[in-house]
Amino acid sequence: MASIIRPSLLRPATAFPRFSTGLFQNTTRVAAFHATSRRAILPPLPQKIEGGINEPVRVPPPSPVHGHYHWTMERLVALSLVPLTVTPFAAGSLNPVMDAVLCSLIVIHSHMGFQNVIIDYLPKWRMSGINKAAMWALNAATALVAVGLYEFETTDVGVTEAIARLWHA
Amino acid sequence: MSAQRVGITALRRVTATPSAFFTQNLAKSIVASSISTSQSRAIATERLTPDDAHTILSQQRLKRPVSPHLDIYDKKQTYFTASIWQRFTGLGFSGLLYGYSIAYLVAPLTGLHLESASLVAAFGALPVAVKGGLKFLVAWPFVFHAINGVRHAAYDMAWGFKKTTILRSGWYIWGASVVGALACLML
Repeated sequence: MASIIRPSLLRPATAFPRFSTGLFQNTTRVAAFHATSRRAILPPLPQKIEGGINEPVRVPPPSPVHGHYHWTMERLVALSLVPLTVTPFAAGSLNPVMDAVLCSLIVIHSHMGFQNVIIDYLPKWRMSGINKAAMWALNAATALVAVGLYEFETTDVGVTEAIARLWHA
Repeated sequence: MSAQRVGITALRRVTATPSAFFTQNLAKSIVASSISTSQSRAIATERLTPDDAHTILSQQRLKRPVSPHLDIYDKKQTYFTASIWQRFTGLGFSGLLYGYSIAYLVAPLTGLHLESASLVAAFGALPVAVKGGLKFLVAWPFVFHAINGVRHAAYDMAWGFKKTTILRSGWYIWGASVVGALACLML
């Protein structure tokens, strides 16, 4: 195959020393004919290989708190939100306890959802510092949200009633 | 099959099934029986040091995609029924909740009026079409997230996990969420 039509991915990275460093390190150049580079969303960062090549991926020690307890709780919270969101509007009544439970579960559900996004896209094994910063920023934001929702619940009309009033405005 | 190999096969067939015509050609048969039928080809090998192998592996691993990938979905297959939409809708609502709650908390500092009474007054002053559009923009992702969340719970019990079922239930959920969101506008 002539080198001009060979996919650039097959070429050794050292063939383009200008691109193999810095900003363009992870840029995929589609073909030699394309004048512009294609930049992937969230390109993978360089990976560290620990130990030898043939060693398997390190599996973290099993922990039920980070494993099936966490998983089961996540599902229970998510599923219990379905009746909790429908009931207040269907019953048409305002119950402060139910509103508080709903708000707490929504905050937990959102917090776990954001955690999952951080775990997926800013993985600890690849960018431990950014992962830690994002997790702590999330913790701070969730604490602020919890205080803000408490303020809203105690000084305003409550989430359910506020949504109902907005909907019929 | 190479030309050489075709010739060998033909010659072997001759020796296996002798006929009056071909067996006269005894010399050829003898030659054919002595030809090796195993193929040989030149192989170029390259000696790799562990460092070289390590470098090659590192280069390969650089090309790995991030998982779950954002633009790897085949739009003709399960993109519009994919679980990534559960994440998009959930992120939208959670972002709204976080943004509003924190803004409400710091409203005394910023001087913004975010209490429910002023929000209701502001929303009520909008034209009907804008109100309906905004309500649909909120209602559709909410209904979608709720129904699709139940489907994901079913997936966790390993129900409905055939590919055809996934595709069909995905389209049902799109239809049901649009209908449900329109019903929410009637409330």
